[in-house]
Amino acid sequence: MLACTLVHEGVENPSLSRIQIIQNPFESFPDDVTIEQCRQCVDPACVSVCPTDALRANAGYGNVRMIDRTKCIGCGDCIEACPYTPSRPVAVSDEKFNDDLKVRKCDLCADTPYHWDDAGGGPEGKQACVEVCPVDAIKFTTKIPVQEGDEGYKVNLRGTNWRRLGYPIG
Amino acid sequence: MEVEKMNGYTGKILKLNLSNRKTTTIPTSKYEKWVGGHGMGSAIFFDLVKDKTIDGFDPANVVTLMTSPLSGTLTPAGAARTEIQGIGVQSIPIGWFTRSNFGGRFSSMLKYAGWDGIVIEGQADEPVWLDIRNNTVTLRNCSNLSLWGTDTWECQKKIWEYVAGNQMYGDWIEPAGKEGGQTTQRPAVLAIGPAGENLSRMACLIHDASSGAGQGGFGAVWGSKRLKAISVIGIGSIRVHNPKALMQARLWQKKNYAFRLDNLKRKFMSVDFQSPPVPGTLYRLGKPSVGKRPQACIGCHSGCRGRYEDGIGNEATCFATLFYLFANSLDIQRQANDLLNRYGLNAAEMFWGELYLSDLHRSGILGPGREVDCPLNFKNYGKLEFAEQLVKAIAYRNDGLGNNHPFGDDLAEGFVRAAEKWGRLNGANGDLKTGLLMFPFWGLPRHKEARSQLDWAYGTILGDRDINEHGFDQLRSNPTYNKRWGIPLYGSAKEVVRIYTDKMVPFQGDRQMLDFSTENMYSEHIAKLVTWHRYYTRFWKQSVQFCDWRWPDFLNLYGPGKVGSTGIAEPKFLNAVTGKKFSFLDGIELGRKIWNLDHAIWTLQGRHRDMVHFADYYYTRPSSTPDGHPEYMPGRKNGKWRYIKTLGRHFDKNKFEEFKTRFYRLQGWDTSTGYPTRRTLESLDLGYVADELKKNNRLGRG
Repeated sequence: MLACTLVHEGVENPSLSRIQIIQNPFESFPDDVTIEQCRQCVDPACVSVCPTDALRANAGYGNVRMIDRTKCIGCGDCIEACPYTPSRPVAVSDEKFNDDLKVRKCDLCADTPYHWDDAGGGPEGKQACVEVCPVDAIKFTTKIPVQEGDEGYKVNLRGTNWRRLGYPIG
Repeated sequence: MEVEKMNGYTGKILKLNLSNRKTTTIPTSKYEKWVGGHGMGSAIFFDLVKDKTIDGFDPANVVTLMTSPLSGTLTPAGAARTEIQGIGVQSIPIGWFTRSNFGGRFSSMLKYAGWDGIVIEGQADEPVWLDIRNNTVTLRNCSNLSLWGTDTWECQKKIWEYVAGNQMYGDWIEPAGKEGGQTTQRPAVLAIGPAGENLSRMACLIHDASSGAGQGGFGAVWGSKRLKAISVIGIGSIRVHNPKALMQARLWQKKNYAFRLDNLKRKFMSVDFQSPPVPGTLYRLGKPSVGKRPQACIGCHSGCRGRYEDGIGNEATCFATLFYLFANSLDIQRQANDLLNRYGLNAAEMFWGELYLSDLHRSGILGPGREVDCPLNFKNYGKLEFAEQLVKAIAYRNDGLGNNHPFGDDLAEGFVRAAEKWGRLNGANGDLKTGLLMFPFWGLPRHKEARSQLDWAYGTILGDRDINEHGFDQLRSNPTYNKRWGIPLYGSAKEVVRIYTDKMVPFQGDRQMLDFSTENMYSEHIAKLVTWHRYYTRFWKQSVQFCDWRWPDFLNLYGPGKVGSTGIAEPKFLNAVTGKKFSFLDGIELGRKIWNLDHAIWTLQGRHRDMVHFADYYYTRPSSTPDGHPEYMPGRKNGKWRYIKTLGRHFDKNKFEEFKTRFYRLQGWDTSTGYPTRRTLESLDLGYVADELKKNNRLGRG
């Protein structure tokens, strides 16, 4: 979350993060943490409901769905349409647009004014959350995950070295 | 108030007066020269507390909770700590101006809410809790949620529910109303348990499951102020001077100095930057084998806590997991540490204290109707019931079963005060003379074997509390565990000493700073080691708030030539976030200034060099470890560097006096009294501190 807002917005603010990590310290493993990233749906409801075509596939970045903030009217239809909880698009008042509501959504770091790498992000580049994660808990894949349920997105990525550290790898 | 836009800061500090229930704002810029954390806290305390001789329970005592410019940022193991200061109630002969510190997500959340710190003064007329939602700050009575009397976990959960209202965690919520923005996060709550409410001097503050500010008795200070909890939820942004540089620094640190799962150099947790993410639990019967994950404070690359499939002992580490050492099973010991967190008790004092009580019981001294009349049911020793009775006895000041009894009342005052009341400190065989009661500094419990780890011994006795600073601990743990369990050495003693001392500016290159031989115990070199450690920790660790378990990064098996990132990394992160142009040495120098300010406060409280002494047994009894195994540290033998045995020795009182003189001279203080001097203070731009010392007849000569 910290890396996400840093490269996209140039600030630290978990509420602006395109990935949300929600924790409950009193809960038992594995229900103590949920990791909710945009699923880059095959048939994205958020795109189809956008009344201004502000949210659409960007051919320049491998067709990742991106938001054109000059077109976004902050109506929140994409947020309502997102089938996941919490909704992956995030509406925030935007200083650059007179504090009007503008939506953010994971773009695989395509539109990142503060990207650290000269080659930039997007599907062909580097994503901040993937690069910064110290335990390789998130990976980018070009294979289309199973779309039904969580199976395709909540994946056990623990390799054999996790066992060396005393963690069951499932 | 117009809030100045500052990189790394929110620009304002919240000041809460509990007596009149008013909140005001201090501009952060007023204290920015201290950078953050401890430096700011000491400076604010000095300004606000006119009479430094007051007791910790005096309503005029001011408690500060300070963040750092790095709090809530991507800095690895440097984004999560909160520094707490004020006059404590745990130490003897008086409660020194002291500090504690905890991790988790409180400091970051406070900054997202728009605050760089909180200053608490006064005393409420009834139990209250503070509800911070962005800029909206509300002091609420505990009665509405029936919070007073709850344990720390129950208190936090009740507050979470209240703040969410009819919204559900797991989804976006708007805790500060529609205009306040949205978050998926729970409020960060810092709370006291029954121990704090009942003014136990070993009461602490707990956040989430096991982030505790244990030292100083700040739980009791809050209890005396009738402050049950502070809750904060924030939805704002922290400005970063150079976001790209911050991200690059993080990835540079990860690539060059952090553990790699595909190239593990060690499989155990170590108290340093390179450690893999393994829970730092110390249970006698080993690590829990149930499913678990490593859990990190916000921003940390290498979590040192665990969360478990059975939900027992979540997030607990260190002393909390040592408490009740001889529990009948691992699960009982794990449940016992949960009790400490829920009732809000200092784990170090409870660990050593429980062993002391057991010793007294085994000796026939303590028990029902015995010399020390004790209601604890030792037939239950090893079962959870025993630990629960002990914890409750201290938290509620009774017999632990709900009945009046002076035993709990005695212990709630701390184990040393209790022992004194029981007559156990009298005579040639008093428990602090024999070492039966292992509380060697200012009435506070033992941590490391400080007759070996000299940085620990001197840093603690020349300060205010168990320093709990592990910067040099690998010098003991690595060679000791190499001999004991065959863990590979980081390097030869000579190599390791070179790598460490090369980074210790401005004393770099003085290898003998890390000669822990008996011959070198009182030398100028060791005085420099202690000096460097005081300055480094006061600034980089307690003001900028790099985590004690991960910094400094002296020796690193991933680094080039095993050389870690300390010296380069700390200013790299600070400057990327703030835009300042701090060098590592600038930080050490500011640490010196903060250390001098703290020392001036202790002097105003009444400290004189004659008071600065260990408990008697440190001068007469040879050092040892509880399990009898030897310890090894770097030292010179016949002019050559070796890992030498450092147990079996004690301090010499006269030579310690000589050491104090060397140390005071190095600080530029009056060697006859230990008081600060005007010349030194003015050289640090602390002339106003010299004025106050002069007014109170406590300014040193020279």
